[in-house]
This record gives sequence, structure tokens and C-alpha cells, in this order.
Amino acid sequence: MTSTFLRHELKAFWRSKNTGKSIAIRIVMGFFILYLFINMFVLGLFLNDILAKVFPKEDLVVSFCGILLMYFLFDLFTRLQLQELPTLRVQPYLQLPVKRNALVRYLAFTSLLSVFNLWPFVLFVPFIIKIISTDSGGVVALAFIVSLAGLTVFNNYFALYLKRKANLNGWIFLIAAGVIILIGLSDFFWHLFSIRKFSYLFFGNLVTHPVLAIAPLLLGAVMYYLNFSYLKDNLYLEELGSRKVAKYKSSTEYPLLSRFGSVGDLVANEIKLVFRNKRSKSAFIMGLFIMLYGLIFYTNPKMNNDSYKVFVSMFMTGIFIINYGQFMYSWQASHFDGLLVSKIKFSEFLKAKYLLFTIISTFFLLLTTPYAYFGWKTLLIEVVMYLWNIGVNTTLVLFFANRNYKRIDLSKGAAFNWEGVSGNQWILSIPLLVAPYVIYGPFAILHHNDAGLAMLAVVSLVFIFMRGFWIKKLEADFYNKRYTIAEGFRNK
Amino acid sequence: MIEIKNLKKVYNGVTVVNVPGVEIRKGESVGLVGNNGAGKTTLFRMVLDLIRPETGQVLLNGENVAGHEHWKNYTASYLDEGFLIDYLTPEEYFYFIGGLHQQTQVHVDDYLAGLTDFFNGEILKKGKYIRDLSKGNQCKVGVASCLLQNPELLMLDEPFANIDPSTQFRLKSILKDLNKNKGVTTLISSHDLNHITDVCDRILLMEKGVIIKDIATSSSTLNELEEYFGVGQTISIETKVDAE
Repeated sequence: MTSTFLRHELKAFWRSKNTGKSIAIRIVMGFFILYLFINMFVLGLFLNDILAKVFPKEDLVVSFCGILLMYFLFDLFTRLQLQELPTLRVQPYLQLPVKRNALVRYLAFTSLLSVFNLWPFVLFVPFIIKIISTDSGGVVALAFIVSLAGLTVFNNYFALYLKRKANLNGWIFLIAAGVIILIGLSDFFWHLFSIRKFSYLFFGNLVTHPVLAIAPLLLGAVMYYLNFSYLKDNLYLEELGSRKVAKYKSSTEYPLLSRFGSVGDLVANEIKLVFRNKRSKSAFIMGLFIMLYGLIFYTNPKMNNDSYKVFVSMFMTGIFIINYGQFMYSWQASHFDGLLVSKIKFSEFLKAKYLLFTIISTFFLLLTTPYAYFGWKTLLIEVVMYLWNIGVNTTLVLFFANRNYKRIDLSKGAAFNWEGVSGNQWILSIPLLVAPYVIYGPFAILHHNDAGLAMLAVVSLVFIFMRGFWIKKLEADFYNKRYTIAEGFRNK
Repeated sequence: MIEIKNLKKVYNGVTVVNVPGVEIRKGESVGLVGNNGAGKTTLFRMVLDLIRPETGQVLLNGENVAGHEHWKNYTASYLDEGFLIDYLTPEEYFYFIGGLHQQTQVHVDDYLAGLTDFFNGEILKKGKYIRDLSKGNQCKVGVASCLLQNPELLMLDEPFANIDPSTQFRLKSILKDLNKNKGVTTLISSHDLNHITDVCDRILLMEKGVIIKDIATSSSTLNELEEYFGVGQTISIETKVDAE
């Protein structure tokens, strides 16, 4: 039965519209995973050298044993946030004559296929082979590997168990994360106890008594069983889903925006779109993280020059335009038909986009003002790049939005979600990144940086004053493409 | 009101809609019936300028829908959930739609108060986003937003498919009232022959993209339709199929 499920799963993967269409994306994704894998592997290969550097006074094996448990604690923490629940995919089988045990076994089995379960082996097995098997022999090395496997399985099922519980009660997630952070704090800050000593207590003894490897294995088995029986008792749709228990959703209004009439209403809707859906929300939150770019670049004397500042400022004030705008109008794909038939002029629709970008960029500009600490010039550059973003980049992004036909399902999360990604985004990023330097670069090379900056400002202002013209152009362009866009968005 | 001329749509070499000419006059109530794949939804979408026909045109009040936007002022339609902004609460959505037609929130609230029976306590002040409503309740939101717009032309695609029996009857009386008393032109598709013959004065029967029958509803219409759909069966089995 498990093999049938697996075959279906493979078909689901290859035939899904998102994975099936663009091979290029899959290749990029593959490279990314390979890159991560190689990094981890190299880290694993040189773990002995790294450990010797970090803990120069200690014996290698002692420090190795010390970090193992720490790794698994960290592993549990990241799993809690990132590991996905293998869930609703069983829905079509629930009412068929398929044994519940088979379903649950399948669910439990597929959850083992997570990449998280690969990392401990990639990281630690090279060390075990290089150092431990030569020092203490093959049996001890095997005992280490078995313990790793046991703890990995334990972590895998423990994280899933906690996540399932957390779906029913959000506090559980907070409590679990809190406990892990507390454990970490009480070691590193309060020095109440030492995870490393505790870890050595077990793994150190493993060197002399390899039989102890049974303990983690047993832990893993118990956790598996717990998970198995919990799943079996709760194999109901509403409990399986990854949807949180719904809270009361209240209506919101933005009185300031209503002054802009229906354009303002459209902006209000889109702000709600951004904050009420996972993926778009993370595009925004990402922008908040990018605010820290300034701290990285400006504090580094090598990078603290005007050219870098142009680059950094463009990102800090315009990240939302780039990050959110590159998927426009896919965000609205699910109700695009509704927008097309309702009493909205497309020029209003476009004006709303301009207004939205202006509002959010202004918000980000305000957040970056403290960087004036690094000199008033920094602030000046930020303001110029802000103008550039709301003038030039906004128009560029909307030009490409007319050429984007891919649907996005808003309800899905952002991490590793390649839905809606097409060649468009790669092409789009080139002019976004290069355009300011086409203007600024020649001046910078001739050491007239200020003149370059002035040119950027002038071009931005020209674009801002020409908005009416651009809106007309974009509108005409949209009329040619709207059927293709709408049809693309209808394709689930 | 609606004039369809020489309209044709082809997908992958298959003609899915082929309507040489149909005219629907102001104040008519027209029902569109046909099996799955007959081209009902495609026809609707072409009337609403959502897909580009291969040839021909649709005129609303004498104006081609493609390339014009004036028709949006007096046309309200609900074809599927793709017409709803699903991350809004129903209230927010109604205010938005009302706002597009220059209605204040007070006016919208007033209007919605008149639909209390139709909503049956399932829609307003429930603290849910539209995406969290059931399909039937989403349909109620869609239909209500159409009514809110005071349209001259109302187009609904299988409005009876997902809603409960009480709401079906309420919707029928609303539609009749709109048509008879307010002169609204209605164009409705349905798989429910009883309802459609009850509500509509004129029935268009589609098969493989072609309108094969255009009949004014009379007492014999239901039998005629049942005969057509119950092909070669002694007892006509009414197959009720949900959305395509």
C-alpha cells in the first residue's frame, strides 16, 4: 500500500502545474540544495579542524561529544518552525477501503523524507569515520551512528507531534519554543548547567559502552509509536489539516485612504491582501529585515562609500516594490475575473498600485531615517533612492506585471514556494539592479559622485511627474494582454 | 439589451461556443441550460469580456463589450468564487462593491438589512473571511453583491448549485421580483430544470457550443426539457450535477 501511495505522490509532484512547467526553476532549486549539501559536507569533513580551533584546550572527541546534543536541540528548534506536516494529502483515501494503519504508516514514513533528517549524517558521519573509528574502533563508530539515527528519528517525530498539537492550540508552539530558548539561555547566559557536559556524559560513555546506543534508538521508537497512535486516533480532516483554529476576523477600515475614493478603496484592499495572507506578509516582513542592510554596510569602512550607499538605499526603501511587485498581479489572481467585470477603470487600478507603493516606500524611508547617524549624506542618498523607487522602479515593475500570467495561491507559505515564479522575475531583476548604475556609474567613475546623484534625482522626478503618461501607456498595454493574463490566472 | 453576433470560441481546434446570433431584449428573463461542457460558462465569460472570442462580438445596449467599460456600470454578475475577494470579510467586500457604485456604508448596511432572510444569519458579523465560508455561503455573498449594485442586467452561473433548499426558494422569489417588478434583465444558467423553468420566461438550450433550442416557457417546457436530457430513458432521471 505504501508503494501505491508513493507512486501517487510522485505523480502529484510531476504533474502539478507548478513543478511540471518550468524545469529551469527545478534546476535552480536543485543547485541550491546541492550547494547547501556541499557546504554541510565540507563542514562535516573539516569538523575536526574546526573543533580543534574553537576548543583548543579540549580533547577532540570530548568537544565532539559536547556539541552533539546542542546540535539536536538547535535542530528541534528549526524543525518546529520549518518542517512541514505531511497532512491533507491522505484526504482522498480516507473514505476508501484502505486500512487506517496503512495510512498512518505512510504519513509517518513520508515525514522521514525531510531534508532535515539528512543533515546530522552529512555533518557528523565524516568525523565519526575519521576520528572515532580510528581511535576507538568500528563498533563504537557504529554505536555513534546508531545514536545519531535514533536522535534524528526522535527529533523528527517529536517536532511533528508538537506541531500537530500546536495546530489545535497555538500556545503549545510558544511554550515549546520558549522551553528550548530557556534551555539555551540557562546554559549560555546564566550558566545554570552545561548542555555540552550533559551531552558528553552520554556520548563519552558511549565510547566505553557502545551498548548504550540502544537508549536513543529506544527514544526514537517510543516517539514514533506515540506519534503513530496519536495520528491514528485523530485521523479526521479538521484535525489533520495544517489550518489553525480560526479566530474572529474583524473588519478594518483605513479612514485616511477613503479620501482617495475608489483608488483608496483599492489600496485598502491590497493592504489587507498583504497582511492577511502568509506569502505576501512575508514579502513585507522580509522588507523589515532588509532594513538591517544599513547596519552591515555602513559600519564596514570598506563599503561605506557612496556607490554602496546607492545600492543599499535602493534596497532598503524599495525592497517591497521589488519583492512584492515582481509577482504583480498574480497576488490578485484568485479574484482577477471579479476585478475585470466590476466597475473599476484600469487606470484607477494602476493609480492604486502607484499609491500603494508610494505609501509603503514612504514607510520604509521613515524607518531608515536613523541611518542619518552615519552622516547627513547617507540620508540624502536614501531620499534620492526613495524617489527613484517610487518613480522609476514602480513603473518598471508594473510594466513587467502586464507580462506576468502565473497564478499564485495566496494561502500557501513563502518558504521554498516557487509558485508564480517564471522567467519574468529573472529578467525583471536585471533592469531593477542595473538601471541606477547606468546613470550613476559613469559619474562615479569620473569621481563626480554628487553629479551622478543629482542625475538620479532628476530622472526620478521626471518619472514621477510623468506618472499620468505612464499610466496611459500601461493601460493601453494592459488592454492588449488582459485576456492572456486572466486566462493564466484561471489556470490552477 | 444583449446582442450576440456570430460569436465563436475555439480551444485546441474544438469549437466550444458557436452562436450565430441571439438577441435578448430588455426586461427578459432568460435561462441557459445544457450538459457539462455545452459552453454555458464560456458564453457567459465572453459576454463579460473575460475571454476573447475567435470571431464575432457581444453588444450590450448596442455597445461592444470588448474595448468599452461603460457596460460595467449597469451589469452585475457572479460566475464563480473567482469573483470574490476572498481575504476580505463579507462586510468589507460589500462596502467595497458599494463604494465602486458611490454608495455610502450606511446605504450598504441598509440594503443588506433587507437581505437578512436570504443570508439566514450565516454571512454578516460572523467574523470570517470570505475564503473561510462554505461554497454555498460564498455564493450568497456573490449574489448579494450583485443585487447591491442595482443592475439593469444580472448574470448568474448556476446560482442554485451549492445553496440550501430554503435559500433556493428565496433566491427564486428575489429573481422573479427583480425581473417582474424592477424590470431587470436576467440571464441565469442552471442544471435544475424545475427552478429554471420556474424563474425564466425564455429558455436557451445549448449543446456542444450551439444553441439548439430557444423556447418561451410554457406549461409543457419542463416536459420538453426533461425529454431532451433524459435521453432514451423510460423514467427520466434528473441528474443534478454540481459546478462543472
